[in-house]
Amino acid sequence: MEDLGLKEVVSTISSQALGEALVVVMVAIAIIILTRKLLPALAGRLSGKPRLYLLASVPLIRLLVIVATIIIVVPILIEPSFENMVAMFGALGLVLGFAFKDYVNSLLAGIVILYEMPYRPGDWIQVDDHYGEVRSIGARAAEIVTPDDSVVVVPHNKLWNALLANGNGGTDNLMCVAKFHLEPNHDVRQVLNLLRDVAFTSPYTRTWQPVVVVVQNEPWGMLYRLKAYPLEPQEQFRYISDLTARGADVLAEAGVGFVSAPVTGG
Amino acid sequence: MTETHDSTPETPCLPGGLIPMDEWEFPELSVRRSVKDAVRHISVQLKEGVSRKDQPFQSLDDLPELSARQRQLIAPDPDFSVLAATLADELQQRRRELPNPQDVSFLVAPPFSGMREALVRCSWKTIGQGQGDGSEWIIAPPKSLLMSDEDAAQWWNEQDLSRPWVIPELADFWLRHMRGLALVRELFRRISDGKAGQGVVGCSSWCWQFWASYVPDMPSAPCTPAPLNSDYLGQWLEYLPGDEGSGPLVARMAHDGLYVLPARGRLDGNKIRRSSFLSDLAAASRGNHGVALALWRSALRAAPEEGAEDSGESESSRSRCCWVVPLDKLSLPAMPSSKDRAIGFVLHALLLHDGLDEESLFLVAGISRKDTANALALLKRADIIHYSDAGNRWHVTDLAYPNTRRHLLSWGFPVDRF
Repeated sequence: MEDLGLKEVVSTISSQALGEALVVVMVAIAIIILTRKLLPALAGRLSGKPRLYLLASVPLIRLLVIVATIIIVVPILIEPSFENMVAMFGALGLVLGFAFKDYVNSLLAGIVILYEMPYRPGDWIQVDDHYGEVRSIGARAAEIVTPDDSVVVVPHNKLWNALLANGNGGTDNLMCVAKFHLEPNHDVRQVLNLLRDVAFTSPYTRTWQPVVVVVQNEPWGMLYRLKAYPLEPQEQFRYISDLTARGADVLAEAGVGFVSAPVTGG
Repeated sequence: MTETHDSTPETPCLPGGLIPMDEWEFPELSVRRSVKDAVRHISVQLKEGVSRKDQPFQSLDDLPELSARQRQLIAPDPDFSVLAATLADELQQRRRELPNPQDVSFLVAPPFSGMREALVRCSWKTIGQGQGDGSEWIIAPPKSLLMSDEDAAQWWNEQDLSRPWVIPELADFWLRHMRGLALVRELFRRISDGKAGQGVVGCSSWCWQFWASYVPDMPSAPCTPAPLNSDYLGQWLEYLPGDEGSGPLVARMAHDGLYVLPARGRLDGNKIRRSSFLSDLAAASRGNHGVALALWRSALRAAPEEGAEDSGESESSRSRCCWVVPLDKLSLPAMPSSKDRAIGFVLHALLLHDGLDEESLFLVAGISRKDTANALALLKRADIIHYSDAGNRWHVTDLAYPNTRRHLLSWGFPVDRF
């Protein structure tokens, strides 16, 4: 550290400068906390795109506040000459690099996430076996809320090596799939049309988005997938339930039965 | 949209005439107005709850309102028979202009445009497609709309499509229910096959939005009334009361005395200072005839504010003079706050079907009878909907329509493009 000249740099910091820097940092922390509490609460009262935009602005505001704080604090503490900067950031880099490798890894991934935006607050993502809505994006990790109301903390460094599926990608369009496992020997075209009508008559359906029914022959019968978009991503489970219930009614009326237990394998 | 400054419009009851639906554009669009509307809408959503006293319509000024008779004189209902004749002329002209006119014409319009009322009065004699022998007829929907494909085909077989026909409102022919689609589906199939004869179909824009998604390759190029921009609106509002030899209708802003009407900007040969009220009204009503008229009626007053510029002494001698308050002085029906989706489902269903009775609403909205009844009561208290004794149906009110559309859009519901 002495070689880097950090000692000389630190020795020039006065207690008054330290106090001022501390005040700036406290104000920045207060703004970040306020943003994290206030904006999601406001977003909760909105729906559609305004809700998503408000949620997505939380990490961006935090990043801006952090950058602004560094820009303000560093000149308060030290003279921002080239040598001083090299000394300070070089020493900090060494310390953080060794002591908090994983933590820094996640912090860096967090910055990459803000730039690449593979997920944003309000997105529905799947990481490993966990599926849920991104509730917040912190400096080190993101929190997702699963349909069972469990909070899963996903460190940002998962981004480097895990597969991540995003259902709505920052929009409020999230495709849902309702599956129907049906007995064979029925009129396939009739069922295709019936299931399409099921989606169009569900009040939860965004009718301007595509409604698609696909069928596939399985050893035990026919597998239908009804794909459509709900009014709001948060309603996806209610929507799939609605499609399934309506579909079951219609298929029963048409005399097409469900298979009781799909047989897997040959 | 094409701006017009014609002093003598060819179709005063339908300024701008009919246009292809694809050419419809929002009237008087400006960044300032869009941002202002968006901020206002979001702030309304953020407010927690609406106090009961704010729910029904009430004016925020204390100026005397016009008597019912005066209001009827200045802003009467349109003459739908004249509108029907104009529509007939327009449709005939469009058919002449098209290289391959289709046998069935679609007339798509937002709610409150008056198309249903006009098409009920439409005659093929005036449309000029038929022989004009009085054999034209209006197809009325069956009592029950729930039927199978076979029953629907049978029902259409029983209709005499060899004679020219008119369907005033397609929304009356279906329900958003598994067994409620068959009639319209069969009609579209016959139109595609060229087996529907000659006809005119009026269709609410919300109904059209659904069916254009359901039948994406629909073989039709619908037309629609041109949206009312400020010029068209001025011409229309001057036309409505007619000219009874008592001079032009003069309307001035109650707070600053600027002129709203006459729309031409001249009165008794003198140039007058115009208010931006008509632009605001065109934007607030989304160029919709019925909504614009409802807002116009709400804004009319019998006297100006004290201290208003040139406060009307020169107008007191005029038999047809009124005062107008700015739109932001009007407290329009506010959407009741509810975390339940029910009111959204009810409102969307009502607009999709251009009004529904309670039983049909229950079938369509996908919520329980209790939730349906609660939502109806809540919306009625807020003046968002009203019950029409004549049709035994619930309808969205004209004053609440723009706000309702905006809320449905923000709640993620499919909305029309108008």
